[in-house]
Amino acid sequence: MGALRDLRQETMAAHDKSWGSRMVSKRTVKVIAIGVIVAGTLAAESKKEYHFAVGSKAGVSVMNPYGSIWVRPSLNNTVVVSAILHSDKVEVDNNQSGNRVDIQSHLLPGADSESGRVDYEVLVPADASVTLHSSSGPLHAEKLHGDVTLEGSTATIDVRDVSNAHVHVKTLNGAVTLNNVQNGHVEVDSLSGEVTLTGVNGPLVQVVSTSGNINYIGDFGDSGEYRLTSHSGDIEATIPEWTSADVSARSVRGEVHDDIPLQPKFHTWFPIRAGVAFAGTMGRAAASSTVVLRTFNGKIHLRKRSEKQ
Amino acid sequence: MNCIELEESLVESEDGSSREQRAHLSACPACSGLVEELRSIIATAVELRGSAEPSPQVWNSIEMVLRQEGLIRPQPTPRPALSSFSARWGWARWLAPAAAAVLLSAGILLYRASVADKLAQQVSVAAPALDAGMDDNDFLQEIAAQSPQLRPVYEDNLRRANEYIRDAQSAVNEDPNDAEAARSLMDAYQQKAMLFNIAMDRSLP
Repeated sequence: MGALRDLRQETMAAHDKSWGSRMVSKRTVKVIAIGVIVAGTLAAESKKEYHFAVGSKAGVSVMNPYGSIWVRPSLNNTVVVSAILHSDKVEVDNNQSGNRVDIQSHLLPGADSESGRVDYEVLVPADASVTLHSSSGPLHAEKLHGDVTLEGSTATIDVRDVSNAHVHVKTLNGAVTLNNVQNGHVEVDSLSGEVTLTGVNGPLVQVVSTSGNINYIGDFGDSGEYRLTSHSGDIEATIPEWTSADVSARSVRGEVHDDIPLQPKFHTWFPIRAGVAFAGTMGRAAASSTVVLRTFNGKIHLRKRSEKQ
Repeated sequence: MNCIELEESLVESEDGSSREQRAHLSACPACSGLVEELRSIIATAVELRGSAEPSPQVWNSIEMVLRQEGLIRPQPTPRPALSSFSARWGWARWLAPAAAAVLLSAGILLYRASVADKLAQQVSVAAPALDAGMDDNDFLQEIAAQSPQLRPVYEDNLRRANEYIRDAQSAVNEDPNDAEAARSLMDAYQQKAMLFNIAMDRSLP
């Protein structure tokens, strides 16, 4: 309302000044135009908040065709959903069934990507299982230790500080960033979005991409299976020298580069040809992870992490 | 029971009907979604055997391997998964091959690639069926009708996924015993299946 009051005062002042000459300054016209837009936006936008009491290991699902979803841990066993609706052409449906909370943006006739947009901020118990869907995103989840499933088409996806959980991500071309996921069961499927994993480890870490690049920065844990696969994207793994892992890498039509010396393996599924494939063990073989890097047309680079990184 | 234990228990009881399974499923949307999908896949596989597109041999081969592994059992009353989807989307023309791709993906998930030669057989049997039934133009037309602005995105990704499938198929043809090539082919089909799945997904407008 302050913006409207300022606008009115400025408009009246401008009106008084120019009355004699019937001239309205360009600045005043701009202010009026911006004011109308701001006032219209404020009038259409609305905020809703929902609270749900849940038990341990609750299930929370948010389906949102257009708009962002941010999920963070709550302080107690409650789910708090704050939703900003960008117009009256979208509603928020909410339902609690036992220990499960379902939130869905309900598009009304005529809604599009702007008017149907809802931005959510959701607080959940840290042990809750969370499922997020959004076409446009972005999607963000942090500081949780329940399972996390995120799906979007063009949505960028960001997951950080998650532990002891399944993390499943599916996207068409949105960039995917996973940061500090410990002891995770991680599966990322991306058609063409770039995937970056930093400090991600666990029993299974798998990324499959058709054309997106895959970047892994970390140490491959100590006993997991790591599979990074892309058809035409590049794969780069940056690891410390003390990493223990059985590594095999192969690019059918691209090239492979290896900055770290490996103890060669003699039995592989594919012929080892310099420049297009390598396989070997680094560090302590007894306590090592299995790492498979594979691409058809892209490049593979196993880099040694510098001290600065 | 956690998610990993639930997945392992599905080998014994894939319908999620045991007490422990029900307790976990009531609180875990990801696992309940997985079980729901498995039920639909099994039901759809039974229905699809009657359709004209894939030959009975294809389904028999896939089903035989999955049954040998104890991953599926006969379903006396198949659920009308196809009709519910098509009633909402009307995309049944391409749903059948997508379901086949999903079936293949579920096979990968549960099969765990324990035996390489069986893996290669699964791929070589299932792949032609998917190619034969898949009508990309119909799929893209439906995308254009539902969300015109997304058509270029889907078109580009579909083209790339098909290239992936072609390359992976070539690798399998070159060396049918190459387990990594077989896995890549499955990954490629899974990517295409994911494209269809996201299009069907309820989050899409």
